[in-house]
Amino acid sequence: MKILLILFCISTFSFSTVLEDYLNDLEKKVLKEKPTFKGFDYKRGEKIFTSTHIGKRGKEVSCTSCHGINLNESHKNFFTGKMIKPLSPKVNKDRFTKTKQIEKWLKRNFKDVYNRVGTNLEKGDVVTYITTKE
Amino acid sequence: MKYILILILMIGFNYADNDYGYKAYSKNGVKPVDNELYQNECSACHFAYQPGLLTSKSWDKVMTNLDNHFGTDASVLDEDYNLIYKYIMENSAEKAMDYKRSRRIASSMSYISTTVDAITKTPYIIKKHDEIPPRLIKQEEVKGLFNCTACHTQSKKGSYKESEIKIPNYGRWDD
Repeated sequence: MKILLILFCISTFSFSTVLEDYLNDLEKKVLKEKPTFKGFDYKRGEKIFTSTHIGKRGKEVSCTSCHGINLNESHKNFFTGKMIKPLSPKVNKDRFTKTKQIEKWLKRNFKDVYNRVGTNLEKGDVVTYITTKE
Repeated sequence: MKYILILILMIGFNYADNDYGYKAYSKNGVKPVDNELYQNECSACHFAYQPGLLTSKSWDKVMTNLDNHFGTDASVLDEDYNLIYKYIMENSAEKAMDYKRSRRIASSMSYISTTVDAITKTPYIIKKHDEIPPRLIKQEEVKGLFNCTACHTQSKKGSYKESEIKIPNYGRWDD
């Protein structure tokens, strides 16, 4: 029993984070679609996050409309006025800790801004941008 | 004596449970939200409106359109959806008639024949806000009638008393 417990402790230490798992999983999917894929890209992610598009409401919006450009700070939801806590996991430890939540919000927000779901490549790029931006 | 009896009867009728239910509620406001999943999922984007602010028929309309929820995709996981739906249905306005505001909202629905899909479209809520200048409602700090918490300082507790109202750039509201 003791050995099992110790083994369990070691295994949790060596396990990767939810975010790493999520990105690795996405990477595998992208590689299947495109064997020449070289990895997710911060710059592409930045463009996805900051460029404006005609969203679901027929209005020009970008991810920054609700999340702001400084991901270490809270920002007001453009439509409801409610404050959204910082997106960056550097200052908000709750971010990117649950795969279900990551998937749910990427799906919703891609639809809100792009009026469609994001591709695996886009999701990986934008998550890379959000989670590594200073 | 006869007159007094008739008088008492008349007063009785006046205050009896009419369409607006002047006497039949025992609690003020609406029942506060007491479901963590509901609270978390809804308040991610906006004030978690108490289920007692809308009838089950209307809530059903809202819940069947979550992928286009006031212009936003608000769809939730199937397992969460079922739990949230159940909670709303068990606590909607007509199931909470012991609360003053729920009773009045539910009763006011008899004045219209359509099923509304928003709290702000219920006759009672429209009537209660019809004297507020549109500029105060449309201003940036409020954005719209949907933003209860902007003026109703105790709305998170399910309380919507007039004495608790504070309109941004205006102050207390006296009818």
